[in-house]
Amino acid sequence: MTTIVQGPQMIEARDPALVMRLARLGSFHQSRLSFMRVLTRRMAREAWSFERPEFEIDAAGTGHAVYTARGPERSYSLIAFAHDLPADQRSDRVIAEAWDATFTLFDGIPSAGDIARLRANIPLQEAGRVSGSELSVSRANRSVRLWEHVVASLAAGSQPALEQIDAVGYLMRTTAVYGSGKLGAADREMIADRPEFATPFQVEMLSVFLTRAFVRDLVQHMAHMRAGGQAATLDPDIARSMGIGNSTGLGMAPFLLNHPVLFNNWIKAREEALARVRRLDHASESEVALFRDLLRRSAQSAVNWHSDHEAQTVKLTAFREDLTRLGAHVDTLDLSGDQPWNRLFNWAGAHLSLEGQECLASLLLEPYGALVDDLADHMAADNTATFRIAGAMPLGRLKEIIEQSYAWALDIDWSLPRNCARAWYVSEEKLEPRLGDRFEEPIADYEQPLAPGRDAAVLYQSLAHWPDITSVAEFLLRHPEHRHSVRRVQIVNRAPYAEIRDNTISSDVLPIDMLRCKLAFFGAVHFDPRSDRWVRICMYPNAPYPEELATLDADFWVYPTERTCGS
Amino acid sequence: MSHSLNEIEAMCKRAARGGGLSWGLCEEAAKGTRWLAAYGYPGPELLADLLELNDQKPRAGVTPATLENTWYAPAGRLCPITAGAAMSDSAVKMENDETIVMRGVSQPLLVVPFAAGAALRLGAAVSVTWGDVRLTTDGHRLCARGRRDDILAAHAVELRCFAPTEMTTPAAPVMRASVAEACWRRLGVFAQRTYAPATDASRRLGAGAGLNDND
Repeated sequence: MTTIVQGPQMIEARDPALVMRLARLGSFHQSRLSFMRVLTRRMAREAWSFERPEFEIDAAGTGHAVYTARGPERSYSLIAFAHDLPADQRSDRVIAEAWDATFTLFDGIPSAGDIARLRANIPLQEAGRVSGSELSVSRANRSVRLWEHVVASLAAGSQPALEQIDAVGYLMRTTAVYGSGKLGAADREMIADRPEFATPFQVEMLSVFLTRAFVRDLVQHMAHMRAGGQAATLDPDIARSMGIGNSTGLGMAPFLLNHPVLFNNWIKAREEALARVRRLDHASESEVALFRDLLRRSAQSAVNWHSDHEAQTVKLTAFREDLTRLGAHVDTLDLSGDQPWNRLFNWAGAHLSLEGQECLASLLLEPYGALVDDLADHMAADNTATFRIAGAMPLGRLKEIIEQSYAWALDIDWSLPRNCARAWYVSEEKLEPRLGDRFEEPIADYEQPLAPGRDAAVLYQSLAHWPDITSVAEFLLRHPEHRHSVRRVQIVNRAPYAEIRDNTISSDVLPIDMLRCKLAFFGAVHFDPRSDRWVRICMYPNAPYPEELATLDADFWVYPTERTCGS
Repeated sequence: MSHSLNEIEAMCKRAARGGGLSWGLCEEAAKGTRWLAAYGYPGPELLADLLELNDQKPRAGVTPATLENTWYAPAGRLCPITAGAAMSDSAVKMENDETIVMRGVSQPLLVVPFAAGAALRLGAAVSVTWGDVRLTTDGHRLCARGRRDDILAAHAVELRCFAPTEMTTPAAPVMRASVAEACWRRLGVFAQRTYAPATDASRRLGAGAGLNDND
């Protein structure tokens, strides 16, 4: 008879109680399971082709362009509208009404009629309507200083200064990328069975990937217009070092709370990938070499990461020290055997900040695409099965789950003002999610259910005097106000990473932690908080442009190499 | 106007909240309305009718008094969302060949999406009947029998839910729906109640953006 040893060498995925804290989620980094990298790997593997059938932009920078991506079975077209935006209208807020450029990702190849229809709607963004043929709607604003510098330099026949490029990192930043049925666009269910959209947010990532090509072409076009066709051509290496920025506010924060199963699947995929790598008995020379190379390049990326935000500055300093310390430690290690990655990861837990620990968690996956990349196909969610409440569950069992999964919330004194100082609500203007002060603004009556910890604690209190054998169905008939929380508790029972195990309404909650976590899964880098509830990031810096995907590295581009341009 | 199902779900969730339902029931009302819309039924209209009918009335009056024997509401009319949710929660009863009988149900079609949930839980098709109407679903498809007017009835004297049952002429969902402007406005009146009036302070602080984006 064979005995399966379940000793200390059996490494499990990390405990949700450790992972699902806001400070740690707010220190997540991109990984090879990030949605941008999943997309570029797929497009390279499947040899997607790209063309620019239309580029009708005038000297003032207004007009439209079409970029088409052809995959094995279907094509998708980014339709870009360029505008001449007065400075006083340039706002990254969702309440803006005009932008430097607006976009939609069209399902297929648009006809002239489609483009005319979309020209009447896409520039209006929220005030317009789209149809089931459109997969996304988005907009972008220029980085005014870098845009002007690049246009002026090229028009004068020279290349832009590298310090200026590095200081900003992008020519335009998107201020919203809407998908999944917003403004009348196609629902995700319409396209979810296409293999290219098996991983979440591939529509949005494809839209941004093509947007970056448009922005590069537009800046070149504007330089030519200014110089009467005599402008210098932007150095491809400089162009490649630039990504697309993104400016994101509170609107994104509730997403993780409103999609608990989806969020669980993201975290679970990354944690399972990490556990698989930590279980490896030994590492080959080439695997170790790749890890060391990417660690060195991560340090370069950290140098290019700027933020003036106080909390992020502190984290960034610690992170750079982490990478130095990690590099030095790796140099002393024999990584050939004895579960090398697990030893390294355990060392990091004791010696690095959360930024460093989570960066290492991502880096460890890099040499092991064959071992972990399949997990990207399990990051989407069909909520149907988990949405229904299991009404036959006895209340005793419900209490047990709360005690196990919400212990952190039961330990909080929710009557203290500082523990419930904030309230999430939706404002009348533009229906923008906001976070307000419960005790100073008249918002409590409008509170959204975005404090699962408090709500689970209240539910637990309500359950106290009910018999353990009574069914959830009977309880909910008398207490419909707990229906939302009962569902969450039952979801967490099946999806342990579904819940942020932290207080989302305390006086010191930092919504940027939630934004950072989501954006890291997208594949964003260089998180630059502008306040505790607003963050700028960079997407696709150093990535190949569409026409370069076949010849350049479509996977590890996120780690910068030594710059060869500008010399 | 052509709407995405997500738009319908989002609007109906807000409207149901504005109509006084608990968040958990709002989520189910919204998913149910979306489900009906995907089969070409005017789920949003029925929800608007229901919210207007029960507006400002205490929920206890339209909630089943008990889950034993025939379900009835103390005030005489059961809310199909509350009763439907309780039916889905009690799905195991149908597994034991019990028929769930409800007396007096408003907008009975709004109960049917909950039968879809129950069917998925039971792994067996569930039928919902009233008058000459019989709607059967296995959670993925829907078989409808009866006149459309009766299916869209404003009230059912008696409604029965049971399983297992046969799927006869199943229809698959479509991914687009059309909602009349007037209906959208009626739902909007309820949704509006969930939005906090903007103040100068909330404008300035609430979203937390930087002051200058011309950089």
